[in-house]
Amino acid sequence: MNAHSDLVTSLEWPANLNEIPKAVFDDPDLYKMELEKIFYGPEWQVVAHRGEVPEKGDFKRFYIGEMPVLVIHGEDGQVRVFHNACSHRGALVETKNRGSQLEFECPYHRWLFSSTGEMIGCPNSNQFSPGFKKENFGLREIRTDEYCGLVFATLSDDTPDLKEWMGERMLDPLARILGGDGRLRLLGYQKVNYACNWKAYVDNDGYHAPLLHPAFKLLNWQGGRGSQTPTENGHIVFEADLTMPDRVDLLDDPSLIDFKGTDTSNGSLVISTFPITVLTKHLDMLNVRFAFPRDNDHTEVHYAYFRHEDDDEEMARHRLRQASNLLGPSGMISLEDAAIFTRIHHGNISPGNAIFQKGVSDPRQLNFTPAQNDETGNLPRWEYYRKLMGFRRAQS
Amino acid sequence: MSDQVRSDARLSSVSRDVRDQIADLQADYIAALDSQDMKGWLASFDENNSSYFCRSKENEDDGLEVGYMFDDCHERICDRVKFVDEIWAGTFEEYQTRHFLQPTRCKSLGEDLYSAQTNFTVMYTDDAGITKVLASGCYDDEIVVNGVARLRSRKAVLDTNVVPRYMVYPI
Repeated sequence: MNAHSDLVTSLEWPANLNEIPKAVFDDPDLYKMELEKIFYGPEWQVVAHRGEVPEKGDFKRFYIGEMPVLVIHGEDGQVRVFHNACSHRGALVETKNRGSQLEFECPYHRWLFSSTGEMIGCPNSNQFSPGFKKENFGLREIRTDEYCGLVFATLSDDTPDLKEWMGERMLDPLARILGGDGRLRLLGYQKVNYACNWKAYVDNDGYHAPLLHPAFKLLNWQGGRGSQTPTENGHIVFEADLTMPDRVDLLDDPSLIDFKGTDTSNGSLVISTFPITVLTKHLDMLNVRFAFPRDNDHTEVHYAYFRHEDDDEEMARHRLRQASNLLGPSGMISLEDAAIFTRIHHGNISPGNAIFQKGVSDPRQLNFTPAQNDETGNLPRWEYYRKLMGFRRAQS
Repeated sequence: MSDQVRSDARLSSVSRDVRDQIADLQADYIAALDSQDMKGWLASFDENNSSYFCRSKENEDDGLEVGYMFDDCHERICDRVKFVDEIWAGTFEEYQTRHFLQPTRCKSLGEDLYSAQTNFTVMYTDDAGITKVLASGCYDDEIVVNGVARLRSRKAVLDTNVVPRYMVYPI
């Protein structure tokens, strides 16, 4: 664990907090450092929701950074996260994305593991090295914690307690995105591999929504009402008040934008947890965007949509119909985001700084109470990133 | 989708005339999409009753209905034309698609209704002129054939479980 980028020593980060050097998007050495310090460092990574693995034996394959992990709902009811690597020679233990089974076998030498990660058997072990004990060769478990069924994992022992890491401000809105109590069931995925650096993917801001997305104008969602709360450790909570138009003439099937929910607000909630996960509740869609970097230039996003366990058939159907056509890489209100990610990535291969403007009253101060439609809410995250990576800030 | 290697679903199990009408429909469909003609795409569907779905094979095999596109009534198919031609206009970079089809199965469902499976590969070329695979998969269709063939339902099931970019146009 000693990746190094010359950029960290050669680049002087601008003194103004609203200026971001574009060079940080295009440096493979820096990306290796980010994997170590951020993805494998003392941060919680969102890897699954219990609604994806509701029954004992259910499993999901995922990634922390570039590391393959296996999330297993054990026969004892606990959801654990393991390195997806055999304790013998390191082959992937499981290659299916999801499934259900109580035993996991590496096909290479038939080493067999239980759903709680213990080694069950390994052929010819009487000829193994002296002192070999099966109990020392279970799947290597990763530290985990849960909130409303959302499964977090961290590769570091130094990561703070999960609720402390999230912060008080996030707890209530996150619970609301997760159906109030986290009793969710998976409706399905949209998966896409965006050709952009992971930092470009997460840098979407509060300023752009009514400008980039014509559907927001159509729905009279002009932005501005609500709040945006960034934290010092890189999270952002958006709460937007929305008013639904009485009728939308453009659509032949206006049920696409019906709001049927029991939540007290028809507003939108968006939470961005550091480093890469976005969770949203727009209208009746409960959406977790599980994400990981494939390499410096690619970010894979698994848009997972959920219903609540208590939904009747009509509500579950409504969530399904809304999710598929409104969000994701072909969604009526989100397609343009997907288009921008790649555009930003390519444009960032140019000299100089990206300069944030909307909501900047003092370039030398961070603002932790920006307006809902300001872009300054992203700046505390950039400052946190700068410090983590060890970039030196210019004095003037 | 279970493969139906059964004689009653071979292409030759339906008349040449029906096959010709279905072939015309498939050709019109991809010609419309590959020229970004959304109204032409719409014209491939039965206007009285039709549906269009585009989802990953992974979802399909797991019984998960979420798709990239979920048009379970003709009104939604009409709305998809508006997404592309009106709502998204000017917000995305154009890309050129080329669809390549290969029919594999066809059989009569009675009256003038037929089921058909057709493999597809869709290439795309971006502004920089680089061509890559957008998706590979299989159409699972129900087609009305009565002098002219129209789609009653089309399910585009993508083997490509992780698509390489945003998708403006249907598959």
